[in-house]
Amino acid sequence: MMTYLMRLAVVILLMAATAGSPQPGDKEPVFAKDGSLVLPSGFRSWVFIGGPITPNGLNDGGAPFPEFHSVYIERENLRYYQKNGKFPEGTVLVKELSLTQVGKHPDGSLDSASGRGYFPSTLNGLDVMVKDSKRFAETNNWGFFTFGHHAEPYETAAKESSISQCAYCHIAHVAKTDMVWVQYYPLLRSKID
Amino acid sequence: MRKVLLVVILGLGVVAVSSLPRYARRVAADTPQSTAVFDSQGRLKRPEGYRHWVFVGAPLTPNALNNGKANFPEFHHVYVEEKNLDVYLKTGSFPEGTVFVKELTRVLNPTFPDGSRTEPSGRGYFNGEFNGMDVTVKDSKRFAATNNWGFFNFGHHTLPYSDWAKEASVAECASCHIAFVAKTDMTWIQFYPILRDGDITK
Repeated sequence: MMTYLMRLAVVILLMAATAGSPQPGDKEPVFAKDGSLVLPSGFRSWVFIGGPITPNGLNDGGAPFPEFHSVYIERENLRYYQKNGKFPEGTVLVKELSLTQVGKHPDGSLDSASGRGYFPSTLNGLDVMVKDSKRFAETNNWGFFTFGHHAEPYETAAKESSISQCAYCHIAHVAKTDMVWVQYYPLLRSKID
Repeated sequence: MRKVLLVVILGLGVVAVSSLPRYARRVAADTPQSTAVFDSQGRLKRPEGYRHWVFVGAPLTPNALNNGKANFPEFHHVYVEEKNLDVYLKTGSFPEGTVFVKELTRVLNPTFPDGSRTEPSGRGYFNGEFNGMDVTVKDSKRFAATNNWGFFNFGHHTLPYSDWAKEASVAECASCHIAFVAKTDMTWIQFYPILRDGDITK
């Protein structure tokens, strides 16, 4: 009887421990000791807020961000923004790039069954911004990181990009909207759930 | 000792029961339940919460590159629930009850004849207003005549969309999927990186 009760206790304890464990992606940004950011995981299951495209064919063959930009944010941070008009500490925004399928038109577009346009091909890189007012006070509370503009696998960690690489452009154009280009993202613009 | 153990078990039991909803959700995720809701006439209720599903890709067919009127104007944002994506990534086919949502958005204020505009990140296309919603549902009994998938259009216009949609005719939707993508479970996986190549982060 004692053994049975003890086993039962262990089983219930394990159930409680498993049920309370954190979900993938449901966590804070992770920094290494040298201040580099660890590649976020699980971001493709976050909320997609928009996907601008700057095709190489319209940017002299070499767009700065080639070519689709799919942008993701965790749901609770999106909700906070929609309610308060700014992002909470610890917010992570992930921009994953993908190339377009090569078409025969000079602008790089492709004729498909659904019409002429641009269609994603391979994933092509990852840029991340993190809001942390202590760590990134110099650049309006946001740090910028690139994990490479190329096919997977991406870098597993990235050091903070220099101001001239990323932050200056955000400071020049979108300092008033918490450093984010909210005008390109319907869910940030319209506050629809 | 036995009394002490009983008390400990009771205490742990309370903790376990209070965690049960979360535990139950995890178990349920192994056997996907469809979120598709049909009425007695076979109309589909407009799915909700789909903008929190997994985004799989966004083709773009601008009006300006399609004689002023694309069939799907203009960005196509495609979403699927993670439980169904996971089955697809493991087995190569979508489970019964899978729902795909394609939400359209217009492009943002065109300035060039091809519909593009220039922004600090380069010349291209940026998301404008939400502009409509198409949905496919896998149900091998209900939609046996069209390779197990039913097609629904909730309007190609700004919000709000229709609350209900009747099944689109074969000529409107299924014919094209049957002609081009019957071999890949009626889905254009070639346009969606993680459907085509898998998700190495999983």
